[in-house]
Amino acid sequence: MSAWFAHLPVVPIVVPLAAAAVILFLTERARVLRVAVASVSIVVQLAAAVALLALTTEAFPDIWSQGVGAYAIGGWPAPFGIVLVIDRLTGLMLVLNAVVTLAAFVNSLAYWDRVGPHFHALLQLLSMGVNGAFLTGDLFNLFVFFEILLAASYGLLLHGSNTQRVRIGLHYIVVNLTGSLLLLVGVSLIYGVTGTLNLADLPARAAALSIADRTLFDAAAAILAVAFLTKAGCWPLNFWLPGTYAAASAPVAAVFAVLTKVGIYALLRLGSLIGSADALAHLDGSALLRPDLFRGGLYYLGIATMGFGIVGTLAAQQLSRLVGYSVIVSSGLLLMVMGLDHPPLLAPALFYLVGSVLATGAFFMLTGMTERAWRSPPKPASAAAEPALLPAGGYVPYGVRRAPPVPEQDAEVGVAIPAAMAFMGLMFAFCVLLVTGSPPLSGFIAKFAILSAAIHAAQGAPWATAAWMLVFVTLAAGLASLIALTRIGMRLFWSVTGRNTPRLRVLEAGPVAMLVLMCIGLTVAAGPVMRFFESTAASLRSPQIYIETVLATEGSR
Amino acid sequence: MTLALIVLLPFLGSLCAAFLPANARNAEAWLAGVCALACTVLTLGLYPQIADDGVVRFVLPWLGQAGLAFSLRMDGFAWLFTLLVSLMGTLVVIYARYYLSPEDPVPRFFSFLLAFTGSMLGIVLSGNLVQLAIFWELTSFSSFMLIAYWYHRVDARHGARMALTVTAAGGFCLLAGVIMLGTMAGSFELDQVLAAAEAVQSHPWYPVMLVLVLLGALTKSAQFPFQFWLPHAMAAPTPVSAYLHSATMVKAGVFLLARLWPVLAGTDLWFAVVCGAGLASLLIGAAAALFQRDMKGVLAYSTVSHLGLITLLLGMNSRLALVAAVFHMMNHATFKATLFMAAGIVDHEAGTRDLRRLSGLAHAMPITATVAVVAAAAMAGVPLLNGFLSKEMFFAETIFAGDGLLLRVGLPAIATMAGAFSVAYSLRLIHQVFYGPLAQDLPRVPHEPTRWMLLPSMLLVAACLLVGIFPARTIGPVLALAVQSILGAETPPYSLVVWHGFTVPFLMSAIAFAGGIGLYLLRWFYGQRATGGAPLRAPFDGRRVFDIVIVVLHRVAERMVRFASSRRLQLQLLMMISMAFAVGAIPIATHGLARGAAGLTPVDPVYALVWIVGCVCAVGAAVQAKFHRLAALIMLGGAGLFTSLTFAWFSAPDLALTQVAVEVVTLVLLLLGLRWLPRRLDLDDPDRRTRRARLRRARDLALAVIVGAGLAALSFAVLTHAPVEGLAQFFVEHALPKGGGRNVVNVILVDFRGFDTLGEITVVSIVALTVYALLRRFRPAPESIDVPRAQRASIAESGIRAFNPGELLPGGDLRIPAVLVRLLLPMAGLVAVYLLLRGHDAPGGGFVGGLVMATAFITQYMVSGAQWVEWRMRVHPQYWVALGLTAAGGAGLLAWAAGRPFLASLGADVTLPLVGPVHLASVLLFDVGVYLVVIGATSLMLVSLAHQSFRSARESFARDGAGG
Repeated sequence: MSAWFAHLPVVPIVVPLAAAAVILFLTERARVLRVAVASVSIVVQLAAAVALLALTTEAFPDIWSQGVGAYAIGGWPAPFGIVLVIDRLTGLMLVLNAVVTLAAFVNSLAYWDRVGPHFHALLQLLSMGVNGAFLTGDLFNLFVFFEILLAASYGLLLHGSNTQRVRIGLHYIVVNLTGSLLLLVGVSLIYGVTGTLNLADLPARAAALSIADRTLFDAAAAILAVAFLTKAGCWPLNFWLPGTYAAASAPVAAVFAVLTKVGIYALLRLGSLIGSADALAHLDGSALLRPDLFRGGLYYLGIATMGFGIVGTLAAQQLSRLVGYSVIVSSGLLLMVMGLDHPPLLAPALFYLVGSVLATGAFFMLTGMTERAWRSPPKPASAAAEPALLPAGGYVPYGVRRAPPVPEQDAEVGVAIPAAMAFMGLMFAFCVLLVTGSPPLSGFIAKFAILSAAIHAAQGAPWATAAWMLVFVTLAAGLASLIALTRIGMRLFWSVTGRNTPRLRVLEAGPVAMLVLMCIGLTVAAGPVMRFFESTAASLRSPQIYIETVLATEGSR
Repeated sequence: MTLALIVLLPFLGSLCAAFLPANARNAEAWLAGVCALACTVLTLGLYPQIADDGVVRFVLPWLGQAGLAFSLRMDGFAWLFTLLVSLMGTLVVIYARYYLSPEDPVPRFFSFLLAFTGSMLGIVLSGNLVQLAIFWELTSFSSFMLIAYWYHRVDARHGARMALTVTAAGGFCLLAGVIMLGTMAGSFELDQVLAAAEAVQSHPWYPVMLVLVLLGALTKSAQFPFQFWLPHAMAAPTPVSAYLHSATMVKAGVFLLARLWPVLAGTDLWFAVVCGAGLASLLIGAAAALFQRDMKGVLAYSTVSHLGLITLLLGMNSRLALVAAVFHMMNHATFKATLFMAAGIVDHEAGTRDLRRLSGLAHAMPITATVAVVAAAAMAGVPLLNGFLSKEMFFAETIFAGDGLLLRVGLPAIATMAGAFSVAYSLRLIHQVFYGPLAQDLPRVPHEPTRWMLLPSMLLVAACLLVGIFPARTIGPVLALAVQSILGAETPPYSLVVWHGFTVPFLMSAIAFAGGIGLYLLRWFYGQRATGGAPLRAPFDGRRVFDIVIVVLHRVAERMVRFASSRRLQLQLLMMISMAFAVGAIPIATHGLARGAAGLTPVDPVYALVWIVGCVCAVGAAVQAKFHRLAALIMLGGAGLFTSLTFAWFSAPDLALTQVAVEVVTLVLLLLGLRWLPRRLDLDDPDRRTRRARLRRARDLALAVIVGAGLAALSFAVLTHAPVEGLAQFFVEHALPKGGGRNVVNVILVDFRGFDTLGEITVVSIVALTVYALLRRFRPAPESIDVPRAQRASIAESGIRAFNPGELLPGGDLRIPAVLVRLLLPMAGLVAVYLLLRGHDAPGGGFVGGLVMATAFITQYMVSGAQWVEWRMRVHPQYWVALGLTAAGGAGLLAWAAGRPFLASLGADVTLPLVGPVHLASVLLFDVGVYLVVIGATSLMLVSLAHQSFRSARESFARDGAGG
């Protein structure tokens, strides 16, 4: 255990935690230092994520030759201690999170990180929670990381609090606490029935259950799924989503684009481990709840979610709400694909997932800039309103000191980019192409691959109708968002009055361009990228390697 | 490679054009012109190769798994179109240079024009159907941007949006159709698809696929019933109309029909749909053109009509008709672009395109007039011009198209009628604008434009004439090449001569001319009486339908969103809870819920009583939560207390201890927060007594009872379940030998599952930070700013006492509690550390220790006030939190130094002076971290709440000061 990569799996969790701790030691006035610590942390996270991803591929045949690595926390052997597991899907999600976090972080430096305390610490902790949720191979630990990412998301949502954020934020907190409660209920029921929390240990134990116990297990798994579906933005558990994403400040909304996919990830992972054909092979199918009921449920919920997203897109009057609805659409599509459980669809769906996270992330940040161009931003309570009534004497109690002044949003800080409107228009056009799945960007590639696989499957599969439905809804979603986005885009960019050309700084514009460029990269390198997703999908289809690798993890005590 | 260059060059040019300065008209024009000309030259250079080999290909791998490659393929037909697109592009660039005014921002124009050129070339040269669909959509987008070039005009925005919506929707259909076609043919590569005609036409999907592909083609070529977008696209600058909306982009639809003709055509469905759409467009377009007031409107409808003619030819399932169609595509492009350019010149020089105002311009601009007259004659089909040739071919085809009597007579009759309309509107356009007395009240004094602006149209007119007079020698070989590349060996013989003798088509032409002149006269009389506007237009007014559809779409969507979701929290929670219940109930409903085998412990009456009281407390808290918060909180505390009693009862001292401490701290913090909440709801609120509200409450009560009972049943089933061999046993066995602690619970928390604990203290820290961040910006509600009643009484008694930091004990009622609390602090600290240190072997641990210490702090604040406490004690809770996280994380990282995984416990026996031998373990450091975080987080929340009083005092002061 002394190779350079020995401790790599835990780095995406430890580094942001350490960074947050260091940031909390620094005062608010030491912004430069805080930013420096946060940047180092994010860069390290990105590097670690890329390295982990590379290790799972064929590029390093000697390390984790099967594509799965495990790390026993505390040195306890596998089913008893907590194990971090890294496979291709995990590596992919880690890189995705690091990229979006990096973009949001840089974007926030232009303005948002200064409107309230602790932005950087909370962003680091959010990243820690998301990374942990992707890495962990333990059900209760998954709950813990969900708690971390949710708690941090509460803080970030309320960041720069104005009336709307507080109102929406309290709803968000209550909804997610309820979701966490359901998650906890599900986890404890599963533990009570199977006696294990280790995800790799679960399939065998679940398969060995008696019918009565299996019934309990199924009920628990279903409750667990409701919690994940809430997170993923599945209708009718997603009423909170558009408002929340619209209320959040731009960089926060951008990282939130990843959060819904954590729910999707959890469903994919658990579906792969306890719902795959391998795991269900030993079961007497006739006596038990058939897995296709669960899959069917996902499929129909996916349709409902997409339908809701489409309708919402058409109804949205505000760009940020509209993007929120397109997040819902993307979740719906992924749920439908998971429900269909057709192997060739999985790789395109993963491609779609990655592309849509990048695109919506960029779009949310862009939304922040466009909103600035048309109306003065909702001012956070100004520093002047803060109390100055201090106790007599030299000591200033903690937290009573005035916060550093919040800069004007259009203050001339940093390097401004020329032709701001043209840049915003161009980025808007790219985002529209990406979100609607129009040619020639990655959104189209993903959509085409999904449609192609679905139409192929419709040739003779018994569930042809379901595949046609997928085709229809996918195209309808693209058209609806195109109609809605042209309407809003024309109002934003082509209205003659009520606009002031904003000054854009490289700091806030750069990240948007970066995410868009990554999407273009995905488009150009579609072939190799898709091959990687195919291998990822294949590993999800055969979880045996995951299970064996984890259970073979030895303790060091 | 040349092929790739032809497609990429315009895109590169587009990119460069975007970065030139806004007024660089000449540079932009040169750039665009050179790009287009280079494409033309490259295309011409490929002619020998095409003539010899037939096909030139260029393929780059892209998404091979899904059958998508970047594949370019040029055959005779594609060559002809490539030439058309690039040549026309060159001419339009020259024209546009002089058409645009100096105020127009040229980079946007030329950038999108070049992007369009590239996309159009991409369509034409695509060797892969999906790639074709990609470029197809790109032309829609660039067309959108070009129509909306003058986006400050409402008609431009509206027209652009309509065009985009219609063509993009068609593009989506095309994509689906193309994927189906590729699936049926086994490949998306054009070569394979064209060879798979039989497999495709016998496939059960053929009708659906055909309809989808046709939807794409017909929307693009503005064919009935989608013809309405084209006239509104005329809001674009005239060069755009000439290039996109007459010569090239609208041809993409018929291009596709011709391209896929070998594989799709030949069926009755093809005949019915394509001919139907073509025929309808031919007539509607021609009739509507006669009644337009705008020159460009006439030309737009005439384009619809001529494209209808081409579509009709393609739908006839006849090879000769295909030849005529390809020929007419070229002819139409030349004369229509010329006419658009002439209309643009008129608009540019006279300031209007209104047919009712224009007249006699031939006197002022003779060259323009000549050019326009020749082009219009070609459009009308006058002999010795190219339009005549393809029109004759069309007439000839209509005679042989159908079998039935209706078709044999009807089709030629309709064709002749359309020909007559065509003559009539050409005549009207020319006669109205150029002849008669010179109009006097025009916005500008008309005169001839610069030569360069005339040059493109003059060249095109020359082409009309040359092709019209010497068809076999000019267009002949090229046309043959194009037709052969589509039909291959089955190319029918056809003759390209001007004079075929007195045939039926010639007779039809003659009738059309006579009829056209008659129609024009009729129209003239009609125009004298009516105010204009075409008769019978309303039923075909797609624009109104489109507008209504879009508005209804948005309205319905809004209504559906309101129906399908809610911004109310209650409804969202209702959904979550009922869904969780429903999905949990499905397996149980299928297989029933079996009670486990484990025996039950006998019921102890005392314990049962404790539980009943606890349950009553919980229910009471829920009932009162909205109306009497204090009572609700007290009952909540009661419920928590009974929970701890339960833990104690079942021999879980650690849990009981922790639970009690947690209850104390949270309850106090909640009570502190209560002070700042807005006034509670009144019990006799009339809204609560409506029928609806009662029903809602009944529903919620029922749901709560059902779901609660369900959860209880599940828990019961799991708890009575025979114990499973699992983690618990391992933990008990290994706690002492490997974990080094006798308190298994603590070993689980700090060692076995220390990672979870690390996560949970992170959560606690985050929540504290969030509370602080939120409350620092918090301004209390106006009604809660006032000093509370109790304090007011004491103030009335003894007056406001200034804060005195030197005061040891507060006066008044709080003096005695203050003494107790001061004495408590060191004791509490001692107990806290004791609990922390012994945690590994006996009940206790960092969490409880931290809470005990925090409780002591809280009492200080409560009794003495924030100012007094903070005067004496530097509370920096944020640093406590940071230190705690560092300690806990650092304890985990220590293991790395020993070459062991994160959080592995390390221990060492050392002998300390005075203390003696001690076992130091990294888990202790971890527990210290927990201890610090708990203290820090709790105090942070406390401080955030406590400091509200500074704020409210200030607000209250400010208000009173302002009032008095």
